[in-house]
This record gives sequence, structure tokens and C-alpha cells, in this order.
Amino acid sequence: MSTVYLDHAATTPVRDDVIAVMEPYMSVTFGNPSSTHRWGQDASAALEDARAKLATAIGAHPSEVRFVRGGTESDNLAVIGGARAMSTPEARPVVLVSAIEHSAVLEPAEWLHDRGEAEARVIPVSSDGQLDLAAVTGGLNERAALVSVMWANNETGLLLPVADAVAWASGLGAIVHTDASQALGKVPLDVADSDVDLLTATGHKLGGPRGCGVLYVKDGVEVEPLIFGGGQERALRPGTEDVAGAVGLAEAIHLAVAELETSATRLRSLRDRMEARLVDRIPGLRVNCGNAPRTPHILSLGLPGIDDGAAFLMALDLEGVAASGGSACHSGAAAGSHVIEALYGSNDPLITVRLSVGHDTTESDVARGADAVGTVWARMSRGA
Amino acid sequence: MSRVLVAMSGGVDSSVAAALLVDEGHEVIGVTMKTFCYSDIPAHGKTCCGLDGIMDAKRVASTLGIPHYVFDVEEDFTRDVIDDFVSEYARGRTPNPCVRCNSNTKFRDLLARGHALGCDRIATGHYVRVTHSDEGTALLRGLDDGKDQSYFLWGLPQEMLPKLLFPVGELTKSKVRERARTLELTTADKPESQEICFVPTGDYRDLLRKRLGPVHPALEPGTIVRADGTLVGEHSGFAGFTVGQRRGLGGGFPEPMFVIEVRPETKEVVVGTRDELFGSAVAVRELNWLTDTPSPGDAVRVQLRYRAPAVQATVVDVTGGEMRLALGDAQRAITPGQSAVLFNGDRVLGGGRIV
Repeated sequence: MSTVYLDHAATTPVRDDVIAVMEPYMSVTFGNPSSTHRWGQDASAALEDARAKLATAIGAHPSEVRFVRGGTESDNLAVIGGARAMSTPEARPVVLVSAIEHSAVLEPAEWLHDRGEAEARVIPVSSDGQLDLAAVTGGLNERAALVSVMWANNETGLLLPVADAVAWASGLGAIVHTDASQALGKVPLDVADSDVDLLTATGHKLGGPRGCGVLYVKDGVEVEPLIFGGGQERALRPGTEDVAGAVGLAEAIHLAVAELETSATRLRSLRDRMEARLVDRIPGLRVNCGNAPRTPHILSLGLPGIDDGAAFLMALDLEGVAASGGSACHSGAAAGSHVIEALYGSNDPLITVRLSVGHDTTESDVARGADAVGTVWARMSRGA
Repeated sequence: MSRVLVAMSGGVDSSVAAALLVDEGHEVIGVTMKTFCYSDIPAHGKTCCGLDGIMDAKRVASTLGIPHYVFDVEEDFTRDVIDDFVSEYARGRTPNPCVRCNSNTKFRDLLARGHALGCDRIATGHYVRVTHSDEGTALLRGLDDGKDQSYFLWGLPQEMLPKLLFPVGELTKSKVRERARTLELTTADKPESQEICFVPTGDYRDLLRKRLGPVHPALEPGTIVRADGTLVGEHSGFAGFTVGQRRGLGGGFPEPMFVIEVRPETKEVVVGTRDELFGSAVAVRELNWLTDTPSPGDAVRVQLRYRAPAVQATVVDVTGGEMRLALGDAQRAITPGQSAVLFNGDRVLGGGRIV
């Protein structure tokens, strides 16, 4: 049976050209960048080259780029470290996060709240991507410390108005973090233009290595570290640097940004083709956030008439097609997605299936994927 | 051959069950049911995907080259099995959660999911057998007397039987282990699980305290009395006692004493001598039959606890959802909450919960 991978929003295969640039840093140039000797110097040079390349790709200064171990770590550092750096002894700071953030943002915010370190407030989001800022403004009294609004949502591809959040936060005196893990390389993004204070990105969503992420920290913005034991990454993320990972991450981001115009057009066309095919085939199908600005690579479906979303994904897998429910992080979980609930309410009768395309996806892949979804839906839908 | 869904717990029995079905040429799909979280701190970690059983099952499935999925049934399992377990103890009874799970959760979910995945058959690693004839499908004891698990399966809906496969029921445990080693399954030498799966520490009273709260009659001190009401001691909560128990009664008795009854309404634990522990009348409710409903006067054999022998009994009557049995010989420690399972030879006729 032929298989089709349509889960690039979960993770992507590492690009061959990325593997090629990483390889020397696992063998020949293996030194510790902190070492005095030439091995260390060579590794350090590679690390700083990677930093500069990544900075250029996102419109940052190299001193603003901190290499960390993945997107979740970057989000945690931003939310907890950012809120702590902004807090004052006088009043409990407020952390404001959108309702559809990744759990790597939501859970640290809840954690701060539960520990009494900060008050967490959730900003409602509509399915057309509007933030209901008025709902969370009451009684802030200059306590707003950090606002976190993702650039693109991982489950639906919905693009959020980060510029609105920045304008609003600056009026409140809060810093702004954005998780751009699904946006970078898919939509135009420049940190300087956007004027965000903190930005998260990760390598494995765009053909880079896993376990390698970045936290952009605008010059002058303070973030407290969460782990200790060395001065690396300006003491924000101690530990011997993963040079090969940083090189691969920077290369993957550089390539994704450089190719953005052509790749976005191609991904959008693949996604739209898949979408049209399914809209044709499944009566009552809802394309989640279909009328809002979306990233080009994610198609989130609300499927009618299915009782068991988890079984739907298993059945799709048995057909040879990889897809996700909401996000990939809750495999086997019966609980619904907090994102779909925030956008469509808790009594939404539709199950969610996310199909996402990437640099190695072909036209026949999306045709095959759409057909498999249609077939499984026809078999499993009530009354069919 | 057909597409078969195999419930894989991560243990050796279900691993071998899956392997045998692969050998027979079936298209096998492995699943592990995630029934609960070990973690008591679910506030932030809303999912726990790292349960050992799940990981073991995944490795075995990978060795066998079959797909493996996790069925999250935590909500149903909590409601149908754990809540029942707790409320039974709170009522002074001694529940058997494995029976409850098989009757209410596991097979029902497997069948529904199996249907969605296009599976014709459902298999597990239980030591029981099914045979098919013109008169229908029969559930039989497993061939290995020491491992037979038919006691846990009387609650299956009769119409489910034709869809079930129990590949290890035809084998002995030692053959199963041998088989697992030949296949180099990671679970080959895993120790037998003896504990209740959701009480990994074995201390069920700890679970009761957590779920009933610190203040609950079942966990409050009460008196230990003789059948005639004579006060003989005190206990720290009747939920810690089961019929037949000797432990925790204190000393100073002229002869060994056993719990013969738990009275939740007065918080009394009643103790008596070995003779007082024996009884020959059994009342059973929540009945389920895998054959025709027995009639008064039928001679049957009944098993009153796991690993106990089936003993001769006569059906007195079956009315209003309750069956009464007269035992040929009085039996020790007939325990409310445990199952009474009726047999004809090796064949499971059905059963119910002892009142």
C-alpha cells in the first residue's frame, strides 16, 4: 500500500540540503564553542555564523537570537522568563494569552497563575481571527506584563493579528511574545517590522532538525532564565551548544524564508486543491477558519456525522494516510481540542482532522489524501 | 483471513495472542486501552502517554510489524470501573473491578472501535476459549487450570461471543512464555501483574481516601462486634475490611476470628469463628447469561471467587433480576460484591454479583 504523509504541521522530514550542512559539525568540527583551543574556536565561529544567518532571515540583529532546545522550551522561557522579568514587587503581574495558543504557552501561563506568581487571562479569539481585547482589559491597572499571541495557529493555520496585539500591549506597557513556529517560512515575517519583543520558532516544522529552536529577544528586553549552569546564550539558555543543530536550524529557516514566495504559492495550491476536493465530496463539511487569513500549508476540517475522532485518524492511518486531530501532541486523547472549542464552542458536533502539506508533498499526495478522507468518512459517518 | 483488533496490555499474554494471530495470517491491529493515569498531578499534564504498558505494547507491535494505537478510555473507565470500585467499598462490599471492566468497558469499546476500523474480530490475551457449534458460541475455561480467567468474563454480552478470539486460551502459561521468548518479545519475562491496574501500589484504601475525601463514613472509626452484638474491638474504617479477612482485627480472641459481615449503615465490622464464616445460600444480582437463563432446580457448578474451585449448587429461583442458589456444601467467605459464576463443566453459563 502506498503511504502519504500529510502531517507537516506535526513535523517534517529534515531536508537533504540541511543534513548536508549539519554533517561536519557532528564529526570534523565537533568542538565545544566555549573552549579556548582551535576546535572550540571553529565551533564557535560556526555557531555565530548560524546566528547571523538566522538573524538575517527573520530581520533581527544576531545579538537578539538565542538558540534553545525546541519550540516548547522557547515558549516556556518567553512566558515564564518574560513575565518574571517584567514583574515588580508592588503588584501581581498579568499575563495575557490568546485562547488558541499552543499548550507550551497556555500551560506555563496557568502554572504561573496557580503558583500565584502572575494572574493569567485568556483573550477570546473568533473563528475569523479577531482578538477580543476588550474582554480582558478590565482592572489591569498597569499590571499587564506580557501578552502572548501566536502568529499562526498550529491546529487551523489561522493567522492572528499580531500587530493589533503589539499596539494594544504597548499602550498597556506590556511586552509581546509571539509563537511563530507554524508561520515562519510560510508567511512573510520580519521581527523588526512587527515590533514584537519575543518570538518563538522551531526547526522541525520547516525541514530542520528536531530539538532545535530559537527565542528572539529584542535588544533591551529582559527574560529570566529557567535553567542554570553556564553562561551560554547570554546566560538565558546554559548548556553546551548544539552546534550542528544550530547550523541546521539556521539553514532550514534561511532556505524556507528565501524560497517563501514560490513555496507558499505551491503549498497553497496543494492545500486548496485538497480542500476543494473534500468540500465537493463531503456534504456539511466545515473548513475551520476557512474564511479567515490562514497559513498556506494547513487544512483543518470539521467533519460531520462522526462520533469517534480518534478512530477516524486510526482508520486513515490504516488507509496509509498520516493526519492529525487538532495537534499531534495528544495522541490517543479523547478530549476535544481547546482550539476548536475556543473558536466554535464546546458543543461543536464536528470532529477535527488536520491535513498539512510540506516541501515534499506532491499533487498526487493531496489527491490520494483527500480521497482517503472521503472514503473513511463515507464508511464511518452516521447513516452512511 | 480477517482483520483482527487485538487488545494489547503490554503483558506477555496479549503480546503472544497478537503474535499467534499474525502467524495465522490475519491482518492484526494492536491497541492499548489507556484506562487511567498513574499521575496524581493532572492539573498541568493533561495527558500522560508514557505509561509502561503502552510503551511495552508499542515495542511488541513494532517487533511484530503491526500497527498499534492507543484508545483513551479514561473517562468511561473512571465512571464505570473506578467509581464503582469506590462506591462498592463505601457500601461495605468487595468489588471485582476486572469483571466490571470486561463487562462494561473493555469489550464494548473494543467492539465499537473495531467496527470503525473495519475489524471483523476482537482478540485479547485472556486464558479462556470459545467454541462454535450449531447451538451457538460457548465460552469455556482456558486449558491451563492455573491461569483460567473465565471468572472475569461472565458479564460479556452473549451476542459478542461469536466475534471474540482468545488465542492463548488453548495454551499453558509456560508455552506462552516460551513462545514470547522465541519471538524475542520484550515482554517475555515480565512478571505477572497481580495488583489492580489502577491501584499499582496495592493500597486501595489510599485510593478510597483520595476519591471519597477525608471525611466519609466508610473511612471513619467504628466498632468490631460479634454476631450477637457483643462489642469486641474498634476499627479505623469498615472500607478496609472484606469477608474472610483476619488481619486488622486485633488479638486476644480465644480462637482465630474472621470478618463475617460488614454493616455500612452502623459502621460495624462483624467477626466470628471459622464456623461462622461458612454459608450455603447465595443471592446474586446484576445477572448476565451466555446461555439460556437457568431454571429453578437446575444443578450447576458455581465459582464464588477467582481461583476458587467451582462447587455443586442448585438453582432455587431466578426472579426479579435476582438468582438464589443453594450450595451442596457450605463454602467459606461468600463475599458480597464478588462474582458468582455458573458453569456446566468447562462452559461458562453466566453469572452475577453476590448480594
